[in-house]
Amino acid sequence: MPLLIYAAKRIAQALPLILVIIAINFTLIHAAPGDPVDVLLGQSEADPQVIAQLRTEFGLDEPVPVQLVRYYAKVLTLDLGSSFRYREPVFDLIMSRLPATLLLMGAALFVSTVVAVALGVIAARRPYSALDNSTTLFALAGYSMPVFWLGQLFLIAFALKLDWFPAQGMVSIRAPTEGFGRVLDIAHHLVLPAATYSLYHLALMFRLTRAKMQDVLAQDYIQTARAKGLTEAQTVLGHALPNALLPIVTVLGLNFGFMLAGSVLTETVFAWPGTGRLLYEAILARDYPVLMGLFVCLSTMVVMVNVATDIAYALIDPRVVYR
Amino acid sequence: MRLPCLRFMVSMRAMLVGAALLTTAALMPDAALAQKRGGTFIVASEGEPGVLTAHLSTDTSAVMIASNVFNGLVSADFKLQPTPELAERWEVSPDERTYTFHMVKNAKWHDGKPVTAHDAAFTLNELTAKNHPRAGAWWPNVEFVRAVDDHTLVIQLKAKYAPFLILLANSLGMGTLIMPKHLYEGRDAKSNPVNRAPIGSGPFKFSKWERGSHVELVRNPAYFRAGKPYLDRVVFRFVPDAATRLIGIEKGELDFLHAYIVPYNEVERLKKSPKVQVVNRGLEMVATNEFLFFNTRNGPLQDVRVRQALAHAIDRNEIRARALFGLGKVAHSHLNSSLGWAFTDKFDVYKTRDVAKANALLDGAGFPRKDGRRFALRLTWDSGKEVEQRSAEIIRSNLREVGIEVTMQTYDRATYIEKTYRQWDFDMAIQNSTTGPDPAIGVTRSYHTRQILKLPFVNAMAYSNKELDQLFDTEYSIIDPKKRAIAWHRAQEILMRDLPGLPLFEFPVLNIASAGFVNAVSGPMGYLEGRENVSLK
Repeated sequence: MPLLIYAAKRIAQALPLILVIIAINFTLIHAAPGDPVDVLLGQSEADPQVIAQLRTEFGLDEPVPVQLVRYYAKVLTLDLGSSFRYREPVFDLIMSRLPATLLLMGAALFVSTVVAVALGVIAARRPYSALDNSTTLFALAGYSMPVFWLGQLFLIAFALKLDWFPAQGMVSIRAPTEGFGRVLDIAHHLVLPAATYSLYHLALMFRLTRAKMQDVLAQDYIQTARAKGLTEAQTVLGHALPNALLPIVTVLGLNFGFMLAGSVLTETVFAWPGTGRLLYEAILARDYPVLMGLFVCLSTMVVMVNVATDIAYALIDPRVVYR
Repeated sequence: MRLPCLRFMVSMRAMLVGAALLTTAALMPDAALAQKRGGTFIVASEGEPGVLTAHLSTDTSAVMIASNVFNGLVSADFKLQPTPELAERWEVSPDERTYTFHMVKNAKWHDGKPVTAHDAAFTLNELTAKNHPRAGAWWPNVEFVRAVDDHTLVIQLKAKYAPFLILLANSLGMGTLIMPKHLYEGRDAKSNPVNRAPIGSGPFKFSKWERGSHVELVRNPAYFRAGKPYLDRVVFRFVPDAATRLIGIEKGELDFLHAYIVPYNEVERLKKSPKVQVVNRGLEMVATNEFLFFNTRNGPLQDVRVRQALAHAIDRNEIRARALFGLGKVAHSHLNSSLGWAFTDKFDVYKTRDVAKANALLDGAGFPRKDGRRFALRLTWDSGKEVEQRSAEIIRSNLREVGIEVTMQTYDRATYIEKTYRQWDFDMAIQNSTTGPDPAIGVTRSYHTRQILKLPFVNAMAYSNKELDQLFDTEYSIIDPKKRAIAWHRAQEILMRDLPGLPLFEFPVLNIASAGFVNAVSGPMGYLEGRENVSLK
């Protein structure tokens, strides 16, 4: 019960924060040069009447503060408006793209976290061994490598040369599949973008796990556990790892936000139909409602994940008490 | 006495051409039977459209799909002569003002209802004229559009207008694809859900739109051109990254990269691949040139001698060699050479780079070197275009040799439009511009005095020449192409002398298609055309 009250309090505290985020983003977007109508009409000498008509329709002929107030009024009734470009509700548009991003992000986050924690534990037990040095080097490379470039390398190696994976999209177009075949098809398409997307996260989590595990393994209670006659696995997995997990969970929560908003490059390289590309296209097209809608959704999700992270602390560490 | 006779001859000629083309079209189904059936043709699109119709914008990602779902009244051949489409023939009145179109009787909308002249009249009067961004360029010339009966459409012009038929044929650029009245009448043309799930009369029917991924069209078995189309499906896949598109076509995941997204540096390698073919046609209708536009309001650029000096100093052959990797052509006029009847290169006196002449002109204009430097200029372009980036680097290097410092300013597309066309905050801008399908449409908009407006893609240069304005205001009423060409030659002479913009190059006409298909491009609209002639090899 205290946990639920705590969660409700945190969510209530986040609401004003989201309203402030809306105001900042709205102002910044409108301050940026470029007119949505000019981009919308394509490369042509547009009729001034058509331009004026569209500006009125989109409410762009009103002062920005008035537009912001109108936007607040809409958002508070859970209406994110209509896209200038697609002319359909922003919420529907985001929902049509969100599953692809969550799938990509979820797969990347899951695989990278599991692998990183496992490698981190192994490396921490044998510091400066050949295995530790090679995984550390690998992590450094993964941390430093730009996603865009890594994606291109993966495409050339595994899609073009070895022909193991498809190069683009989420489904096969020439030979479409249904049912379980479609699931396998999506999984096949997911491998390269998820691998690309996960490497940075994997490197970060590995370094963190290794450092924290090294720290924990040097503690007295680990010595005691070993002295009690516990096996190495029982000591490491039962005593050391749970104590090292807390900072890992914190970073996992933080990374969720980064990864959600940062899928643009991976989605662009692999033509993955997610919200990252929607965001990128909306920026180029100055599609203000879509941009704002994405910011609202992303901010809300990041807040929710942070609350969930706080709750997870209590589950991992019984010493944590919520009041 | 001679003029009415001439008019009659021109009308007769138009009818004879129409009849000849009709005969050719009638023979097509036999030839069509020889084509292999089936297959999926996957076209790469760099962006995802907002809607799948062509009446709201000139967004190419939308029109390349819409052209498969809808038909125009007429289309055009590679020589830019009008050919029948929904209109099987047409007549032009002796005074060249009244066009009577006789529509095919077997065309049906994809929901089974017949396509009639009422649909055509509704489209032009209510959808195109009221919504399409380019309608203002030609609709004021129209007195009325009226359906006489179910299969006869009359368009009455206010005055003679030579480009009228080719304008209709450019149905994608001008928003004149015919749309179903029964699905649009009484509904908002912009937000009608049919825009996202279109119902047309074209060779392919809309099947599905997987957001962010692709649009799928399937064969229309009731297409009015018997035997066509040959393909089972056409799919437009949205692939924003150039390198990924290239891998896609090499791997066989894509079948078509259009001329504007072909990576020029890869063409030589691709030519050697047995998996792909290079198709060297299909930009004739748009006839695009790259220009270096000068803001003639600003400092030294007000002086025509300075603009001429820049033209002498810039090595356009080097731009072609290094920015286009030897592809395309150096542009010698403000018209593209595919507009053969009007084009001339004889007024390009800057064909060979002449640094000495450039220096002399700059000295003469009162801009001597001080510490090796004369003045500075800003060079602006849309950052999304690599060919412009490479051109800009060459231009900067060329101009440094004559003492002009160039500051590079590149912006994303929206900001570029804002800075260049809305705020006129530029000195030199690299910008491509379509000059077709007729210069009255493609060229006049950029250089007429009345086009000095704070609007995208018009006369941002603030260039004004009374003689040229007069030519622009009268040439389109000359029906005889030879006589019109005289006016356009004079226009090119003035433009190459005054240089509101320097033509840099003509875009390479090369599309990349999978080797397993034939007729990947079969008309002058190229990548924007319907795929009814594409078939498996």
